[in-house]
Amino acid sequence: MMQNKLSFHQSSASLEIIGLPDYSNNENKDQISIISQWKLTIVDKPLIEGKIEHLGPIMDAFYIYSNLLIKNEIPIYESKLIDIKADNLHIHNIVLKSSKPNVKPLVLKIGNSLLSDTINCFDQLIESPKVRIKKTDIPTDIPKKLRFGLNKKVKFFNFFIPPFIAICSLILFSYSFIYFYSPFENIEKKDLINPE
Amino acid sequence: MTIWKLRNNNPLRKSYVTNNIKHNEFDALIRITVEMSKYLYPYIREILKSKEDIEDNSIIWNDFNKRFIELIKERFNIDSMRVKKLLNQAENDEIIIRSLLILSFCISNQGYQKLKNFLYDF
Repeated sequence: MMQNKLSFHQSSASLEIIGLPDYSNNENKDQISIISQWKLTIVDKPLIEGKIEHLGPIMDAFYIYSNLLIKNEIPIYESKLIDIKADNLHIHNIVLKSSKPNVKPLVLKIGNSLLSDTINCFDQLIESPKVRIKKTDIPTDIPKKLRFGLNKKVKFFNFFIPPFIAICSLILFSYSFIYFYSPFENIEKKDLINPE
Repeated sequence: MTIWKLRNNNPLRKSYVTNNIKHNEFDALIRITVEMSKYLYPYIREILKSKEDIEDNSIIWNDFNKRFIELIKERFNIDSMRVKKLLNQAENDEIIIRSLLILSFCISNQGYQKLKNFLYDF
């Protein structure tokens, strides 16, 4: 049986997915639901390939690592299959560990440009209607609490700050009158001293 | 004109106006940013790449950094501490690279949702 092949390209990276449609689910013949093999080609780097059980964890690793990188947290991801560490802000060290015994891990060094190309290839795969793949658990919904928290904070300050400033300025302004000379007070005092 | 006015909601700008940005305006700005990132991805990629091998190919990075600083000085309030940080060449590399990375990760069809999540996470 002929296998389907789909490719996703982004500048220096390309991802190839090979597999079959799920005929039991009445799928089109150009659909891929049963992935038998995948290949990730990055220019000037060794070919990365594997089975479906490796693709999900590798994609997750890239997504989690990229999230850590931009959130200003320590960018380290370690798992049984793949380790990604930052050498510095520009170079990322990827160690791919083989599931077969006596096979040395594959070490790759990629820069930010290749990292973003790879992430974009994975994005294209996830968004492709022709491939059915278990979606990664990266949250897409913003929690409501967070969504409205900022707005509420801003509204709260906008509501209370103008009257607060007005009251403060009124107090300061009226406080200055304490130092003014009051003739009536003096007359009263004199009357008290000389009651004749 | 509306977009031009919306820019003034940025507290780092010289012409900062305390208008409350509405939710749909914020969404619209994100959508515009994502579409611009898609269009400019080849350039963003080249800038990031030139910083990776700075000894061989520093011209692109230096040009970008120079223009970035020029624009900040021209349009932002340079007395603000946060703007001073952007102008400090020792510190701004990291900020620029992170910002470019965020833009380059958001060029897919779901880029709008991704960028929104990144911004809410900050």
